[in-house]
Amino acid sequence: MKKSLVTLFTLLALAGCTGGIAAPMTSAGSTPSASAASPIIAEAAWVRATTGATNASMTGAFMSLVNPGETEIRLVGASTSVAPMVQIHEMVSVDGAMVMQEATGGVAIPVGGHLHLKPGSYHVMLMMLKAPLAVGDQVPLTLRFSDGSQLEVNAPVKAFVEEEDHYHSASPSPSMSPSSTGS
Amino acid sequence: MTGATAEPAGLGRRAVLGSSAAVGGLAVGSTLGWFGGQAGSPAAPVTPEAVIRQRYSPHELHQAGISTPTPAVTRLLSFRLRTPRVAAELTKLLRLWSGDIEALMAGAPIPGDTAPDMAQAGVSLSVTVGLGPRVFELPGLASRRPSGYVEVPAMAHDRLQDRWSGGDVLAIVAADDPTTVAYASRRLERDAATFATLAWVQGGSWRGTDSAGQPVTGRNLFGQLDGTANPSGADLEAVVWASGPAWFAGGTTLVVRRIELDLDFWDATTRERQEKVIGRRLDSGAPLTGSHERDDLDLTALDAAGRPLIALDAHARRAHPSVNGGRRILRRGLNYTHTEGGHRGVVPSAGLVFLSFQADLANQYLPLQTSLDQRDALHDWTATIGSAVFAIPPGFGPGDWLARGLFEP
Ligand code: HEM
Repeated sequence: MKKSLVTLFTLLALAGCTGGIAAPMTSAGSTPSASAASPIIAEAAWVRATTGATNASMTGAFMSLVNPGETEIRLVGASTSVAPMVQIHEMVSVDGAMVMQEATGGVAIPVGGHLHLKPGSYHVMLMMLKAPLAVGDQVPLTLRFSDGSQLEVNAPVKAFVEEEDHYHSASPSPSMSPSSTGS
Repeated sequence: MTGATAEPAGLGRRAVLGSSAAVGGLAVGSTLGWFGGQAGSPAAPVTPEAVIRQRYSPHELHQAGISTPTPAVTRLLSFRLRTPRVAAELTKLLRLWSGDIEALMAGAPIPGDTAPDMAQAGVSLSVTVGLGPRVFELPGLASRRPSGYVEVPAMAHDRLQDRWSGGDVLAIVAADDPTTVAYASRRLERDAATFATLAWVQGGSWRGTDSAGQPVTGRNLFGQLDGTANPSGADLEAVVWASGPAWFAGGTTLVVRRIELDLDFWDATTRERQEKVIGRRLDSGAPLTGSHERDDLDLTALDAAGRPLIALDAHARRAHPSVNGGRRILRRGLNYTHTEGGHRGVVPSAGLVFLSFQADLANQYLPLQTSLDQRDALHDWTATIGSAVFAIPPGFGPGDWLARGLFEP
């Protein structure tokens, strides 16, 4: 599956170039801007809706990042117009409990492989949201990588149904545990 | 009733590609990129597997699932918008679905997929989206209504039920197997839930391949070869695809009719009469005036007693373009069986989910349907119990979304 996806999106990107579209393509409605020079391809990006959430000031952005190149590249940061504070988070085990914390060194996207940003794992944390995010809204994200490149992605806001509520229960500190803040 | 004619799918696809320049009003520059880029992409059909194990792309001039072969399983989901007067709610739904469809048809998990391992490529999955009449009552959209896109008035023979009729937004999900259809339908339903509720769900099956897996005309539950006289190639282009308004170039209109077939009465009918009802043989599908499935009907031929060989009320005569001012449609049929439990026990029923695609509903479908309603030997065995119409927008570019031109001209 991984291999075929890389092939598919490489082909799509090629088709885009030869066919005269300005930007390489990403899948699933995420739209990179024409200025994004990053070799990284974003697939299936989405942001969790905050409507109905106990804490509507923060949420997670998820996606799959593909590195079709020859060198490892790290996702080192992100920004968005909908939130002034954005961090790359990882989940770590602290005293037997999974807690999330900022991935200060960024996260590697393996050569020829995927980095999955997904619930319960690495994700982009959007904090101090200016307004609630409803299903169907579009969130513009700028991703920054270790090679200095940037990628702009338009991520749709989708309902989130998973029981565990990691992305609303913590406060924006570099190291946080859901148990310390409640929800 | 199917687009799965015996010609290889590759031919149809080339014909479709060739038509891009012919479509008036299309922003060719903006679409050539994704459209032209398809030639070498994984979406190109593989000839030996023209019906099954196909990969379709939503990024063609036309949506898939219309002129592409009918796979084994199809489900139609019709939704009513929760706030039918707010265009922004519909556009949010269409944007979400476009991303979903792009991923689903590529065999990749959709954004936020809670069952990502279900995704699989090469299962002939297509999702075709349509817009119901109320959409064009939204502020500012009346002038962009496709010409001839009207509702079908109730016919004298109709026995319509609300539960199989109407709808604001339609998704047709088709694939080689029911598991794929269930998975894709569920993803689309979930993302629609914020904006719309289900009006009805119906579907059926089609067998468009022979025992060797080669494409053939499928049979409906009367046992008839159904779809023989469907247009193909350049005829199909002219019959099906609309050229405007600009946002709709490459789109089409769809009539969905749920037609119940009285199989018990059909079983009790002699084979000779069954063949006379259509005017074609049951085994080969050949006209009663010919010997091969694709032979033209000879509507003037008489038997020894001087009676027409193809009866005056035969369905194939009554539906024939020569007696309908040349009007044609593209039919796509789905066989359904439906079983309900009642206080008197289990009640089985069966029929055809009849899909008709045409560029101009009012000028192609309506006169034909009206004429058939007046006289058609099939009426003794059939009753239409559901009806709905949808405008089917053209395909969309990668990262773009369905029918955007309708809302952002
Ligand atoms: C009651 C369910 C129906 C059944 C069982 C049925 C069956 C058939 C069959 C067996 C044929 C001949 C083979 C072929 O060309 O596909 C046929 C042809 C056709 N039918 Fe139907 N049909 C039904 C309803 C309709 C309806 C509702 C329409 C349109 C309003 C329609 C329009 C046509 C047309 C246009 C043809 C082709 C005529 C020609 O060009 O030779 N049918 N149908």
